[in-house]
Amino acid sequence: WTLDNWSQNPVIDRILRVDHAGEFGANRIYAGQMAVLGRSSVGPLIQQMWNQEKDHLKKFNELMVAYRVRPTVLLPFWNVAGFVLGAGSALLGKKGAMACTVAVEESISEHYNNQIRTLIEEDPEKYKELLQVIKQFRDDEQEHHDIGLEHDAEAAPAYSVLKTAIQLGCKVAIFLSERI
Amino acid sequence: MAAAGGLRSAGWRLWRGRAVVRCQQYPPLRALQASAALRRASDEHRKEPLGSSTQQHFDSPPDGHQPEQKPQGPHPSYTGQGGQESEDYESEEQLQHRILTAALEFVPEHGWTAEAIAEGAKTLGLSVAAAGLFHSDGSELILHFVSECNTKLSELLRKEQKLVQLGEAEKKPLDEFLRDAVEARLRMLIPYIEKWPQALSVLLLPRNIPSSLNLLTSMIDDIWHYAGDQSTDFNWYTRRAVLTGIYNTTELVMMQDSSPGFEDTWRFLENRVADAMTMSNTASQVQSTGEAVVQGLMGAAVTIKNLAGLNQRR
Repeated sequence: WTLDNWSQNPVIDRILRVDHAGEFGANRIYAGQMAVLGRSSVGPLIQQMWNQEKDHLKKFNELMVAYRVRPTVLLPFWNVAGFVLGAGSALLGKKGAMACTVAVEESISEHYNNQIRTLIEEDPEKYKELLQVIKQFRDDEQEHHDIGLEHDAEAAPAYSVLKTAIQLGCKVAIFLSERI
Repeated sequence: MAAAGGLRSAGWRLWRGRAVVRCQQYPPLRALQASAALRRASDEHRKEPLGSSTQQHFDSPPDGHQPEQKPQGPHPSYTGQGGQESEDYESEEQLQHRILTAALEFVPEHGWTAEAIAEGAKTLGLSVAAAGLFHSDGSELILHFVSECNTKLSELLRKEQKLVQLGEAEKKPLDEFLRDAVEARLRMLIPYIEKWPQALSVLLLPRNIPSSLNLLTSMIDDIWHYAGDQSTDFNWYTRRAVLTGIYNTTELVMMQDSSPGFEDTWRFLENRVADAMTMSNTASQVQSTGEAVVQGLMGAAVTIKNLAGLNQRR
């Protein structure tokens, strides 16, 4: 029931659409966290991670135009949901924000790994450039994940519940953004 | 000699067998008979190549069989390019493509009907029964026509873009570009304008809606792509929706238009495009006003927090 019939290359189409949506969402999450914790001691750290996400988004914007990929209809929704998640987790405190970061970045790293596997199975030569980009971004997200852990994410209130809930949300977001 | 004759008859049997296997993809029985009749009629016209081509088929039956037994529906897809298997022998899809192209010249007289298709098949030297390969309401003919028009439009836009890149032409402002693209596309309907309302109603049949919608959206996407649209946010959708609206309404106006050279239609188009430009200007004005208001509110909130002493560094 996907809209795949409308695209030239369904594989690339899905991958770019969901990655674009993901980076867009990540941007909004960090924006939400900054809105609450911007002037706290972790402010500069969050700002730095946010800047990296902005670079990621810029790269995907370029790739979307180059491959003529349709962005997901759900962008306005991710806009709001991402900000609310970021601000909400930040209201739980610095550790809450870090926990959110850990959860999201772990989901995204796993997701990028899946994509790398798919592309390698399909045709590593044809998708060389894209593979390079995704590998680089996966490494960046992994770094964010580690930073979150270093800053006492696991000491956050209800850490495991929070983490499970956020990761479930990410799975749903990925599923929908690939298709719609 | 005898061996060649034996090979040739074995090849002929394979050829007929393949035709029957492929016909099983077409539910209507008359299509089965029609296709076999078509095959016989077309083979009668191929004298010399027959011996060599059947020989080749005998040599490589697996390759010859696989492409046709692809899990495709009984009708050619209008979303991609036609299939191109080996050079000497034509795929079902290519043959249907040729028949439909030939049928177009009979549309002004017969409408989008099986008669037009039959006449087209006749000009190719095929049996009139070839019309049985298609639905009686002319769906495939219309979809084929729309697909061809879209391809022509893409070509036109691509050439224009090349001229601009080479510096031989000026880059058009957006409203003029959209106007010209829609006008160029609609002008392709002029030779068939009498029968076009009939075609529109066929395109709206539930069976045809996925294909016709697909063709419409890819055409609109093409126009925006060559217009230089690089949006990756919700604007992507708004722009395409707006242009689709402009295109559809202008098409309907064109059906009713009896002015010389369709000048009423082009004036209508100009006004609609101008409206769209104004609307987008208004939208961005509203957005910047909204942003200014939010800034104002945030400023007020910070001031109040400061006054109340709530704004401490944590």
